[in-house]
Amino acid sequence: MADTKKNKKESPAKKVVKVEGVPQSFSPKKEEEKKQARIGVLICHCGTNIAGSIDIKALEEYTKTLPNVAFVDNYQYVCSTPGQKKITDAIAQHNLTGTVVAACSPRLHEPTFRTATKEGGLNPFRFEMANIREQNSWVHMHDGEGATEKAKDAVRIAVAKASLLEDLIPKSVLVEKAAMVVGAGVAGMQAALDLANAGIKTYLIETLPTIGGRMSQLDKTFPTLDCSQCILTPKMVDVGRAPNIELMTYTEVDAVEGYIGNFDVTLRKKASGVLSMAQAEAMGISGGGCNGCGDCEPVCPVIKPNDFEMGMKPRKAIYISHPQVVPLLYTIDFDSCVKCGLCVTVCGDKKAIDLEMKDEFVKVKVGTVVLALGFELFPIEKKEEWGYKRFENVITSLEFERLICASGPTGGHLVRPSDGKTPKKVAFILCAGSRDNTGIGKPYCSRFCCMYSLKHAHQIIEKIPGVQPYIFYMDIRSFGKMYEEFYYRIQDEGTKFIRGRVSHILEDPATKNLMVHSDDTLLDQPFRLEADLVVLATAVQPSVDTDRTRKLFGVSCSMDGWLLEAHPKLNPCGTTTAGVFLAGVCQGPKDIPDTVASAEGAASAASIPIHMGEVELEPYFAQCIEEKCAGCGMCVNLCPYKALALIEKEGRTVMEVTEAKCKGCGTCGGFCPGGAIWMQHFATPQIIGQIDAFLLGGAQ
Amino acid sequence: MVRSKGYPEALENKLIDRVLYDSDRSPEFTKVVEEISRTIPHMCYQCGTCTASCPSAPRSTYRIRKFVRRVVMGLENEALTDPDLWLCTTCYSCTDRCPRDIAPTDVIMAMRNLAFKRDIIPVNFLKTVQAIYTTGHGVPNNDVNRAARKKLGLEADPPTTHKFPQYIKGIQKILDYYKLKANADRIVKEREG
Ligand SMILES: Cc1cc2nc3c(=O)[nH]c(=O)nc-3n(C[C@H](O)[C@H](O)[C@H](O)COP(=O)(O)OP(=O)(O)OC[C@H]3O[C@@H](n4cnc5c(N)ncnc54)[C@H](O)[C@@H]3O)c2cc1C
Ligand code: SF4
Ligand code: SF4
Repeated sequence: MADTKKNKKESPAKKVVKVEGVPQSFSPKKEEEKKQARIGVLICHCGTNIAGSIDIKALEEYTKTLPNVAFVDNYQYVCSTPGQKKITDAIAQHNLTGTVVAACSPRLHEPTFRTATKEGGLNPFRFEMANIREQNSWVHMHDGEGATEKAKDAVRIAVAKASLLEDLIPKSVLVEKAAMVVGAGVAGMQAALDLANAGIKTYLIETLPTIGGRMSQLDKTFPTLDCSQCILTPKMVDVGRAPNIELMTYTEVDAVEGYIGNFDVTLRKKASGVLSMAQAEAMGISGGGCNGCGDCEPVCPVIKPNDFEMGMKPRKAIYISHPQVVPLLYTIDFDSCVKCGLCVTVCGDKKAIDLEMKDEFVKVKVGTVVLALGFELFPIEKKEEWGYKRFENVITSLEFERLICASGPTGGHLVRPSDGKTPKKVAFILCAGSRDNTGIGKPYCSRFCCMYSLKHAHQIIEKIPGVQPYIFYMDIRSFGKMYEEFYYRIQDEGTKFIRGRVSHILEDPATKNLMVHSDDTLLDQPFRLEADLVVLATAVQPSVDTDRTRKLFGVSCSMDGWLLEAHPKLNPCGTTTAGVFLAGVCQGPKDIPDTVASAEGAASAASIPIHMGEVELEPYFAQCIEEKCAGCGMCVNLCPYKALALIEKEGRTVMEVTEAKCKGCGTCGGFCPGGAIWMQHFATPQIIGQIDAFLLGGAQ
Repeated sequence: MVRSKGYPEALENKLIDRVLYDSDRSPEFTKVVEEISRTIPHMCYQCGTCTASCPSAPRSTYRIRKFVRRVVMGLENEALTDPDLWLCTTCYSCTDRCPRDIAPTDVIMAMRNLAFKRDIIPVNFLKTVQAIYTTGHGVPNNDVNRAARKKLGLEADPPTTHKFPQYIKGIQKILDYYKLKANADRIVKEREG
């Protein structure tokens, strides 16, 4: 205990902390520090959630015997208005220095009880919570005695910590009035449009030369069957025109520094080899720059597969992926360009082509960020039993979209890749790589494959007279608005539904027809189909650059790689990194309606800090105790958030914390060999106090 | 004549109660099978990949998916008394492909063990036990094989109990310890006299 007091005196909480635009920092008064701790404890029944297994009376009697406890009470629901009033009243009546509520998880009600503590006249950070529900009564429902003992431990530990808590003042920082959206699929486009329309300058970053994402590759969209490009291109044009949107295509995020309100983002503009008209103008080439005439393309001698057409159509080394690209600007693929210069010649006076162009780095400052990185298909050739890439007539659903699309490589005629013939028996295989726990495949449901396969079946019936579609399925998940009705319609049109997962496909080497093997589970009979074409409704996974990009922004991902939301139900667009939000499929598979809804949610959430102008940060910062710091600088490199730096101060080298960047993770504090780092709210004496209370019981 | 005679019985048969009553299920059976098989049949979602992979299914009434379902539902008698239980070739195709990472083959093996405890087992399986007991091999070497082996430049007998008959004793000890041979002899005798 004596030790604790000594440490406390040295506590750097007294330091005046310098954060721009922040009111004078808090420094505790000497007398207050010395004051004997007086803790009030409230025990919550949570109806029968807690009181059902924990003996509240026994817990209360026990709590009364703990050191520093000046007041104990219990209540049905402490989070209710009268419950909170009990906290507020007790602070004044019993002259408390700290409060403890033994109830649910701090994730739920810590903010509630902090507010109540504040209303009672104490600093809100003098509140501590003992979780006796999630970590106790719910898991020990059938062991009341054990649960009560464990609750006693939890309360004793919380009281020990509350006795050592200090006043803390949250800092606030100013928020840059600009936002960034990374990824310009339908999610990113929608988020950028919303932000821009809310009056916020928005940088929209897209790694490809054109915006639009996967939706621009689709032919029609379920359940209304409207043409995908027709509903998307107006939005693409709006994005290209919006004065508040600065569109940066063929650009990647290279580095991120800073924190909510002040992200300094370095962008790499990949060398596209082509100047836009604006760029040309700025370089003094008047009337020059790419106008999208396309004269360069025919003269280019290099032929490469066009990724937009899933490699089923050629493009040149200088190319646009499709006629509706935004911005309408040609791009040179320098990995395949032979620098023959033919395009430069034919471009002539426009002088749009620069074969020596290099990547360029630009820095922008934004207040908040929306990640909309989308998805790609799982490499389904890994499921060898279905023969993708071994059998020519086994294709993926995205290849199907391009083949059935009027602007696609075959002008919308669905043909067999092996011989160009029109297929008459087409098998659609659902859950290809989804709902798969073998380790090769994805355990989750990809969510839109059921519906788009119904759409595909409809599309071939519409286009190919006499065709018979077969859908091999385990469950048809048609949960959206008008989706079940769509399922009804497709069944009515004559699609055969076989309830069975396809075990394997064999190819007849002579005809290239495919023998599809499954179980008709409803008849309990093995079923075999000789199909002309097989379409795999392939599982989706995060797009290739997602992992690198998320790490730059300090965003976590779940086990399957999708970006992790702050709370799956109550905060699906937020992340645990303040100021970074998620939109669209990068958070988990979503169809277009859900993608757009999530994008609007993310845009709205991202606009709030910007409109507020400043944000408060939780004051769990590391602090340097300068007298103890040896200036070794080891902590600087350890900090995952780049919050620490060495500075010269009064002739010495010491460490300095940029509080707005510090997340209070404690890495530095745990490491520092000199014990020179004070983790506010999780200080060494506070944690030692908790451990002592646990190991030595109430007496200490 | 035969018809009118058989008709009432057939009709009787048609009209028996075919409802599966929850009270007829044996949850214990599911647990025991999981313990022996060390796999997770309760995770089966009835996709049919196993039946579709099965080389026995196209030529028989054996349905691996149905057996897994019986385990899930705890239908002990239905599973153990169905002669199809013995039609699995143990090729493991279903185990290779099951998307829920279940080993249906091992589920079948577990149920065969349980069936054997109730003396439910085809005689040919018991004759295999007897062959192992006397020769150390389920399928002992024969003259045709010996000739083939020689042609391939191999010894006539493989380096097993055929070459080292002194080790047959060890095998017999193991089989005796589990009373496998005694049980096999007993059941074969009961069935074949
Ligand atoms: C075959 C198929 C058919 C479908 N049919 C339908 C349908 O009929 N109806 C329906 O509602 N839904 C359908 N969908 C689903 C639909 O495609 C998605 O809901 C939608 O595309 C999701 O949009 P998004 O913006 O989240 O992702 P995406 O469309 O993938 O867009 C992401 C964008 O971000 C860019 N990007 C990725 N990483 C980075 C990075 N690190 N930096 C910068 N940019 C990056 C990408 O280049 C891309 O432009 C279908 C999907 C498939 C596969
Ligand atoms: S590790 Fe400790 S002593 Fe070294 S620089 Fe960091 S704070 Fe100072
Ligand atoms: S393959 Fe696996 S999940 Fe599918 S029916 Fe058979 S045992 Fe069940």
